[in-house]
Amino acid sequence: MKLELPPSWTLDEVCRADLGIVRLWADPSVRDLAQVALPFPAMSAAEPLPDDLDTLIVVGGGTWIDEAKVAARSHANHVRLIAIPSLWGSGAEASPVAVLNRGRVKEIHFDPKFVPDVRVTWSKLAESVPPRLARDACGDCWSHALEGFLSPLAGDCLRQDLAGVMCTMLELPLTNDPRWFEVSARACAGQAKSSVGLIHGIAHTLEGPLRADAPAAGWGHARLCTAFLLPVMTFNRRGSSKWGTLAAAHGLDETAIFQVAGELFDLAAYDSALPTLTLLWSYVLRDRCTRTNGVLVRPGHLAHFEKKDFS
Amino acid sequence: MTNRDRLKQLMVEVFLLDPAEFHFDLAAENVDTWDSLGVVSLAVGLHETFGYHCTPEEAVAIRSVPDIIRLLSSKGISFET
Repeated sequence: MKLELPPSWTLDEVCRADLGIVRLWADPSVRDLAQVALPFPAMSAAEPLPDDLDTLIVVGGGTWIDEAKVAARSHANHVRLIAIPSLWGSGAEASPVAVLNRGRVKEIHFDPKFVPDVRVTWSKLAESVPPRLARDACGDCWSHALEGFLSPLAGDCLRQDLAGVMCTMLELPLTNDPRWFEVSARACAGQAKSSVGLIHGIAHTLEGPLRADAPAAGWGHARLCTAFLLPVMTFNRRGSSKWGTLAAAHGLDETAIFQVAGELFDLAAYDSALPTLTLLWSYVLRDRCTRTNGVLVRPGHLAHFEKKDFS
Repeated sequence: MTNRDRLKQLMVEVFLLDPAEFHFDLAAENVDTWDSLGVVSLAVGLHETFGYHCTPEEAVAIRSVPDIIRLLSSKGISFET
């Protein structure tokens, strides 16, 4: 089985294509760059899409792309959606999932129609990503690949594809490198065919409360996934022989993967999220992602996270 | 611990039940958390606890505790009291 991704265009192909009536939706952090490279009328996310729209081009992180998916697919026309990620990790440009932030709650929608029609890898955008954000995006990407691989809903073929993606990821530095865009899209396309697990269950449960309680702390999905990557993978390794067996069967270098997870682990970030995890553990257990973790997550397993022995 | 005890503990932990809610005739329609995702968790838990890996068809067909006992008993896992 090959991972199915939307067709990939270059920026030049976007500019030369007959796209009809076009609007450009760009995250403020990359808006100036986008408006120079993509000479189409821009609009803000707060404005309604024009009735006669043919194509929406969205440039931004996963949150922007997900909002654009819902806007484009709710339109009366079949609006062509061209997604240009400004950051890797979410894989939103290749995924049928739309995660919408609605206050303290994250709404997760799954529908094949949410897969964008075209994706564009714009390498230059990787240069502008701040180092901390880039590192967290790498952790997000790893959490998609690992949880999709370990999911009880994954089959052998999908696991083999995701193992191939992870072998490529092991070769990449945990910093700004445009090659992350492609592996991120592939990891997410694979994960979308199985499920995610406890890392995402924790991230989805904690993100709203942490952001509300400490708005300046910079908590977001990628940072939470990165903070809990090593703790959850250690839990999975200790809780069952499944991880070790599958890693060996698919030629994954377990030691190298845990080394990467260790490099991404930030004890200070973990420590600041841990009290919220303890408080909300019963909600984490009920989260739909937790319930498809590769290893069963039980009420007593909070002790693993409180003990902080992730060696 | 007997296999009946292990099964009770597993059901309580998978479906987040109060232990007093559990009984050996429990059925999916009486448990809010016994939905499609609960079936996935249950299949993972049965593998971890009893070493039996359900097929997807078997997992979906499990609609009650007696169904689980019948399935595992047919694989040589005893629930004799």
